[in-house]
Amino acid sequence: MSSKVNFTVNGEKKSVEIEGWEKLLDVLRDYLNLTGAKRGCDDGTCGTCTVIVNGEAVKSCMFPASRLEGADIVTIEGLSKEGVNPIQRALIDSGAVQCGFCTPGIVTELTVLFTKNPEATEEQIKEALSKHLCRCTGYESIFEGAKSAQKKLEGAKNAQRLFNKDVKK
Amino acid sequence: MSDLKYVGTYIERPDAVNKAIGKAVFIDDIRLPNMLYAEILTPPIAHAKILSIDTTEAEKSEGVIKVVTGAQCNITFGDCVRDRYPMAKDKVRYIGEPVAAVIANSVHNAREAVKKIKVEYENLPVYTDALEAIKNDAVLIHEKNGEYWHLPTYQPIPKTNIAMHYTLIKGDVEKGFEEADEVVEGDFVYPFGSSAAIEPHGAIAWFHEDKTIEIWSSSICPTIIQEDIARTYGRPVSDVRVHIPEIGGCFGYKSDVTIEQTVAYIASFVPGRPVKWVATRAQDFTSTLIGHGVRIHMKLGAKRNGKFVAVKSTVYHSVGAYADTGVNVTQAATHTVGAYEIPNAFLEGFSVYTNTPPVGAYRGYGYQYPHFAIERLINMLARKLKIDELEMRSINYLSEGKETVLGEKIWKTNGDVKKCADNVKEVIFSKPKPKEDDKYYYGRGFAAVIKGPKGTPNSGKGCYMKLNIDGSVTVIMGGAEVGQGLRTVVRQVAAEALKIPPEKVRVYMELDTDFSPWEWQTIGSMFTTQGGRAIVLAAERLISMMKKNASYALKCDEDLLDYDGQYIFLKSDPSVKVPVTDIARGYMTEGGITVGEVVQATSAGRLPRYSNPDLKTGRGNMGVNYTFGAQGCEIRIEKDTGKIIIDNFVSSFDIGRVINPVQLRGQIVGGVMMGIGATLYEQLKFDEKGNLINPHFSSYRFPTIKDTPIEQTVIYVETPDGVGPFGARGIGEHPVLGVAPAILNAIFDAIGIDFFEIPITPDKIKKAIENKKEVMK
Repeated sequence: MSSKVNFTVNGEKKSVEIEGWEKLLDVLRDYLNLTGAKRGCDDGTCGTCTVIVNGEAVKSCMFPASRLEGADIVTIEGLSKEGVNPIQRALIDSGAVQCGFCTPGIVTELTVLFTKNPEATEEQIKEALSKHLCRCTGYESIFEGAKSAQKKLEGAKNAQRLFNKDVKK
Repeated sequence: MSDLKYVGTYIERPDAVNKAIGKAVFIDDIRLPNMLYAEILTPPIAHAKILSIDTTEAEKSEGVIKVVTGAQCNITFGDCVRDRYPMAKDKVRYIGEPVAAVIANSVHNAREAVKKIKVEYENLPVYTDALEAIKNDAVLIHEKNGEYWHLPTYQPIPKTNIAMHYTLIKGDVEKGFEEADEVVEGDFVYPFGSSAAIEPHGAIAWFHEDKTIEIWSSSICPTIIQEDIARTYGRPVSDVRVHIPEIGGCFGYKSDVTIEQTVAYIASFVPGRPVKWVATRAQDFTSTLIGHGVRIHMKLGAKRNGKFVAVKSTVYHSVGAYADTGVNVTQAATHTVGAYEIPNAFLEGFSVYTNTPPVGAYRGYGYQYPHFAIERLINMLARKLKIDELEMRSINYLSEGKETVLGEKIWKTNGDVKKCADNVKEVIFSKPKPKEDDKYYYGRGFAAVIKGPKGTPNSGKGCYMKLNIDGSVTVIMGGAEVGQGLRTVVRQVAAEALKIPPEKVRVYMELDTDFSPWEWQTIGSMFTTQGGRAIVLAAERLISMMKKNASYALKCDEDLLDYDGQYIFLKSDPSVKVPVTDIARGYMTEGGITVGEVVQATSAGRLPRYSNPDLKTGRGNMGVNYTFGAQGCEIRIEKDTGKIIIDNFVSSFDIGRVINPVQLRGQIVGGVMMGIGATLYEQLKFDEKGNLINPHFSSYRFPTIKDTPIEQTVIYVETPDGVGPFGARGIGEHPVLGVAPAILNAIFDAIGIDFFEIPITPDKIKKAIENKKEVMK
């Protein structure tokens, strides 16, 4: 059964005709051509499809498209409107970007974490990152990059800026 | 202090930004005009005759363009053994085998239609282990075993399930064991596992109306795909064009031709339209290549003083339903006995067909299994002989002038395993081991490692290099970037060789057989060595062309000129000079007449004297370019749970020359983590029908950030290599090799129990401790 949903993606209003079985990841990739969120598994385990829905990090491969009405979505494309943001810069500098397939999900996860909890402890950072699988790095450089990003951001306001809602140029 | 300017420093990966902002284009991100989507039907049982296929309902399903079966398919393919079919014809041999496919206007419609295909099967016995399939009364998985085309080095045994039998003979093994004062032996098991890159494998095929064929694949071997597809469809190689987009991790299984042949077969039914198939995670586990499935029985003998005298091994490798490149893995698993000189050897390997997904490359390429066996046996032997295990290793290490079992003399430029071992010893064993307490047992373990590329005699890498008008340089090669960072290596090596800043080196971002120089395939930790050599050669050619052009400009002979990255100048008077920007396309005289060279060059690098094995002895130059290393760990075993905590995992490799310290550490730390996954968590489990029980990341558990060692220590030795650029050698696979034996040796050290089979789960530890306590009573 198809139905229409209205929502916002990266600040732009969208109206999409969706099928009942579709997930947010299908909508982003197949209807909106936003391919930054990746498909790595089929049971919400790998985390590479993570996007931000109403301020929360969500695995878009499990999120029913039918629940999108009125939602505010931010994807890796939205987080990268101004080029490389401080989280991406920190991950690059720590060597956390190898094959790059898990990177968009991790950037997104850390954006939400540091917005909601800028003082996140190492354990909390690990807890957030444990929702993401990476086969390349052995996680060391991702963890180091996350800690360095936290320092660079210095607080929730700076993390919030990454959402690109009220970015002042 | 390094004598080099750019090699040995950190520079950013050329692809980092695109990947970090989500703009890197992977196979599933590609959208082509008029593209169709395929879904593949796989069987409910791993071994069965196909009696009939009814596609009527599927054809009527919404959005369906075509339903394809293998009934008319007469194609076989394979790199080493041509025993593979793009789609099953009359029989299925594994659970992920393509039986039929639907081409539709969307993935969803293709999937819905596939469910409507009805197939009648007649079940056959299912073998998921080499030990069952090798029995005399076992049903043949391939009736045609022995008739398939194969490379001469892989000998099948017809009318059995043995796809390849290989023996390596050195010295006199029986005599060797007679001379031994002590002998140990054991049966070691390395179960099935998956490379499990986070990006599932996929391909797009497009048969054009002009008879050319275009393929996109998340593969590391465009040339092999190009040649194989051309042969299959009777086209000139030049009429097949293969593109490789960004690859989301490989670790082995995206090498060699696999799914591309299936997707091409499907697409051949709808000429004029591109057809895409990207595996779901479950399909990535069952319908691509898997790894391991190795049983090794190994026996090792030594004199009282610890000197090794003989080694014997039998490798039973469950290579799955199609042996193709699995046979090469078996061979590597057989012809390796670790970083030691052993004068007498009899090593025998069997690639055995089983009803499991085909086994292919997996990071380590066969080498990890004999390492697992011998490094465990050495500890057992040292205990029997009451010699220190590290001391015993050190009197047997390969070094300059000593001979591997393959008969290759080790060169000084192959590196120094002893130095690596000493580094690990210093970190792990130079302090007292913590005493057992209420909560934990403590243990420490060690393993030495060695690996050569296991390639093919002509496994070269090509390079095209051109000087641009502004003095920047473009480098195009055929090496596939899978995350290992070869683009960074290209940039740094080219910058060093050309004496220009790395920012002025443009590195290729995609592979396209219409434009990329030839490369065999990007495997075996060979790119830095061979590709780097090609870059240095091309740079030398560029410089010599610049000198030729400058000789016109400066009116002087070329040999009197020198180059500093910006100018060609007279050695005796550097003020007599011409900027390279003036001579990039030759030298133009005042009148506009241009003479000299357009400064662009091609080159290629290969290994010296790499050979096939001798068919009688199994010996030959099948390593040539080795990297040595040593690994060790300190672990704790939690008494309540049996959980293993790795406090420190130490790796020391003779890397030859560090090119990029950040990337290098990333390769090693990541490789160790993959080894830890295999040792403690990962196993593909098949039921009696050959179904994969755990085809998801939620059930095929591989390490998360919570499973990392508390610390990883990495120490480099830099004995310059004789082939690689500036002395550098390969490292991609080596970090996985010593992990399992080092951890299992540490487990013995902690609780006095020998394990021979991985993965070691907490349950197994708890059970073993309880059993031991029972016996002690």
